[in-house]
Amino acid sequence: MEPPIIRMEGVSKRFPPDNQAFSDVNLEIEKGEFVFLTGPSGSGKSTLLRLMFCAQRPSSGNIWIEGVDLSTLTNSQVPYLRRKIGVIFQDFKLLPNHTVFDNVVLSLEVIGLKREQADRRVKQVLAGVGLGEKTRRYPPQLSGGEQQRVAIARAVVNRPPIILADEPTGNLDRERTDEVMVLMEELNARGATIIFATHNDRLYSNTHRRVIKLSKGKLEF
Amino acid sequence: MGISIAFRRAFSDLRQHFATQIMTTMVVTLSILILAFFALLYFNLQHLVERFGSELGLVVFMDENTPEERIPELYQKLAGLAGVEKARYISSEEAFARLQTYLHDEKEVLEGVSPRLLPPSFEIQINRAVFQLDRIRELADRLIKWPEVSKVQYGQEWIDRFEVFSKLLRDVVAVSGILLLCTSAFVVANTIKLTVYARQEELKIMRLVGATNTFIQGPFLIQAVIQGLIGSCLAIAVVFVCFEYMKDLVAVSELLRGVEVFFLPWPFVSSVIGSSVVLCFSGTALAMRRFLRL
Repeated sequence: MEPPIIRMEGVSKRFPPDNQAFSDVNLEIEKGEFVFLTGPSGSGKSTLLRLMFCAQRPSSGNIWIEGVDLSTLTNSQVPYLRRKIGVIFQDFKLLPNHTVFDNVVLSLEVIGLKREQADRRVKQVLAGVGLGEKTRRYPPQLSGGEQQRVAIARAVVNRPPIILADEPTGNLDRERTDEVMVLMEELNARGATIIFATHNDRLYSNTHRRVIKLSKGKLEF
Repeated sequence: MGISIAFRRAFSDLRQHFATQIMTTMVVTLSILILAFFALLYFNLQHLVERFGSELGLVVFMDENTPEERIPELYQKLAGLAGVEKARYISSEEAFARLQTYLHDEKEVLEGVSPRLLPPSFEIQINRAVFQLDRIRELADRLIKWPEVSKVQYGQEWIDRFEVFSKLLRDVVAVSGILLLCTSAFVVANTIKLTVYARQEELKIMRLVGATNTFIQGPFLIQAVIQGLIGSCLAIAVVFVCFEYMKDLVAVSELLRGVEVFFLPWPFVSSVIGSSVVLCFSGTALAMRRFLRL
């Protein structure tokens, strides 16, 4: 049996002076899984995700990503971990003065992919999210749903095995939310492991996917 | 990160923030311009000192008891010394005749005076190629030790004064040079810092997609090198144009007839350009350090 792609053992996060986000979190996520991470606002969903891509370090406990103990990573090794994780945010985090194409190609420039290959792959991915005709537009010229699709394209263009989605539909209407969900399902079907943080119970109420709830600083399965 | 990606990103940034980049480059240009003008003045004064110093030459007065038959031997000895271009013997009679010519209408005062009153001497012209103030002093010190020599004259006071002035100017050039180069580095580093402040969100996103510090820093460092290089080359070019213009003015000037002007030596020019590039690069690297923490 393959080891879990993400493993957390006794993970706690405390913010000074005495704000305990969560404590003693134990979690295993298998490769290719699609997991919903739920819980009320402020329950620590985003913090949990941030620990996974080393934007923050846990106060105690250990996290393994693809078998690598994150506590052993030096700061200079963190970028290489992040290339294995695509992150999508509620507020898209796009560069407003860069075109859609430039926003997405950034993930490939970072890994040093050749220009021709990068161009081809970006066009392919943008076409896949339905933005093939808008590659030269700037993010402020797009709707919220389109901007989120650009963010998804940026997160997946370098084919990371893990995708962390932090309330990606939080700013979208019902129709756009469904479009994003379809894209996420497609990515999962292609083999990506997805952790989808949301407090929108409509998205997971009728699903066969695993739902993990973070409440009062503890995980509930 | 591929170097081509770093250059592409650097030039894209240059285009996007063109006005700021021009402003920073201008500060570098102005700083180097001031330094280069001071240096031009210093190097030309140095040339002037050397030129007049070598024209002054040395006058070696012989002891009046030196037998005449020793003169050819002394002449050979003097002419063979390193740095001596030419030596000419001036007998007591010739020196006397010169004095008479100099006194002109009042030469009567010399009536009844023996030409032997004036000591014979050698006029020594120094080789310009090897001329240095220290060498001329060294030569004079060596000659005064010869038993046949009673006195050596070489316009010591004039040279000493000019040398003090020249050294002072050199110190001013060195200190102002260092300060001005540091100013350019400081301005470039701070402009980059402000740019980075304004683009913190962009850097965050870069980190998010796995950009290494080299990837983030690379384009900024390339920009700093470009600014240092263009800024200093522009300054040297301006000084060169001004120099060419001044050279023509000096050439037709009655007052400065015979004075030759020289441009900055190329080793100095290249070290100024090199220092400017290195300082802009390291200033930027230092300024960016705190933004590169995870």
